[in-house]
Amino acid sequence: MKRSLLFLLLLIPFLFALFELFILENVKDPIKYIYTISGISSTVILFFTILISLIKKHFNILKYRRMIGLYGFFYALIHFLNFTVLDAELNIDFIFKETLDKPFIYLGMGAFLILIFMAITSTNRLFKIYQPYHKLIYLSLILITIHFIMAQKSLTIMQLFYIAIIILIGYLKLLQQIIRKNRVH
Amino acid sequence: MKYLKKPSWHINEKEITPKELFDKRRSFIKLGAASVIASSSIVELLAKEQLPIKNLSFIKDKNLNNLELNSYEQITSYNNFYEFTTSKERVKDMAHTLDTTGWKISIDGLIEKEFEIDFDDLIKKFTLHERIYRFRCVEGWSMVVPWIGIKLSDFIKYAKPNSKAKYIRFETLLDDDIFPDQANMLFPAIDYPYVEGLRLDEAMNELSILAVGLYGSKIPKQNGAPIRLVIPWKYGFKSIKSISKISFVEKEPLNTWQKSNPKEYGFYANVNPNVDHPRWSQKKERVLGKFFKQNTLMYNGYEKEVSYLYKGMDLKKYF
Repeated sequence: MKRSLLFLLLLIPFLFALFELFILENVKDPIKYIYTISGISSTVILFFTILISLIKKHFNILKYRRMIGLYGFFYALIHFLNFTVLDAELNIDFIFKETLDKPFIYLGMGAFLILIFMAITSTNRLFKIYQPYHKLIYLSLILITIHFIMAQKSLTIMQLFYIAIIILIGYLKLLQQIIRKNRVH
Repeated sequence: MKYLKKPSWHINEKEITPKELFDKRRSFIKLGAASVIASSSIVELLAKEQLPIKNLSFIKDKNLNNLELNSYEQITSYNNFYEFTTSKERVKDMAHTLDTTGWKISIDGLIEKEFEIDFDDLIKKFTLHERIYRFRCVEGWSMVVPWIGIKLSDFIKYAKPNSKAKYIRFETLLDDDIFPDQANMLFPAIDYPYVEGLRLDEAMNELSILAVGLYGSKIPKQNGAPIRLVIPWKYGFKSIKSISKISFVEKEPLNTWQKSNPKEYGFYANVNPNVDHPRWSQKKERVLGKFFKQNTLMYNGYEKEVSYLYKGMDLKKYF
């Protein structure tokens, strides 16, 4: 019950985008719109996955963490396909050139490669072997944050607010790591 | 020689419609109506959607390039106007605060005599021309707009700059009662007032206009009422909105976007598919309302008309 509710909740941005794009048909610049909605959804969901262990005392949804993480990957995949299929129209040569040439794009690609690796190694069998490497999510989130800041034409108060939240999450995670280390000794 | 007096009801043979034509009169009228619509995409749009009532008189553009117009709705609901918000979709709903009654423009700098002119007087003084132009935003989207405006060259001749003037500088109105983001003391999106500039020979080019209308009527607030610049071969941010001040100067003005990010935005900002923006390619563009992209043209398709302005210039350096 909880799982299906969460599943539907995480699907809302996707359904909302489909509704705006194909039912209301009120989106003026679909490619830009898909970038924005998939980028925001992926970022928010992925940051939420690292919060799960922080709030488990009050609200334990640890057993759904994989599903939530895979949703973050799903929106990142839409974001990536929007770039490769709709924006670059599958011009492989162009995609490679852009990726190697523009920091904005290779940061995003780097973050996405980490997410692919994590999605593949998220099965029960593989996760046992690769669990330590799932720490790479932090690197991915740092890349995503820089990519997100670069994507703005100018930083408005709202975006500065998002960045402040990200810094706060980073601080809390760091604190958590330090406390954990001290417990071991 | 007999002279016959014609009765009053007599109709000359020449004036009588032949019977077969008379029988075909309905299809004839339909044909006539159809030909009017086919020759004018605006009439077609009038029939299909709500357009504002025409309230300007102007010399029509024959649209020799057969550009396909974007709809009035598209043009007026997707706007970059940072004085309101950075969201292109929300500008339309916020723009009602832009009160243009009694709008004045001050003209100063290197001219015969500095002066201030009332917007209503200004448009009475000059011939209005319709100009159907491609409009290409630096962000990678584009549209086709039927602007109505004053030739910038006509205006410059009227202002009489002296021989020292090499550049023309424009400023958007500074008024935080009208523009919410100008009241934003801590984190404004950009520096205000918005500033743009042109080299005088660019400004004198036949294509450069001061737009006061689109689709036959006065320009909507979100599109930069009451008067804005339109330079069709440059990225959209050069076409400054809601102009309140025009200055003739000797040195190249520092425009707002160049000031805010000189690595990404230059003074010239000519549309050029071969010079990328640092973060994205400029080779293609997305036309509003279309899912697939099209190739971006050199100087946005106005190479014939403007390339002489940039002869021998390194366009990668002067971007």
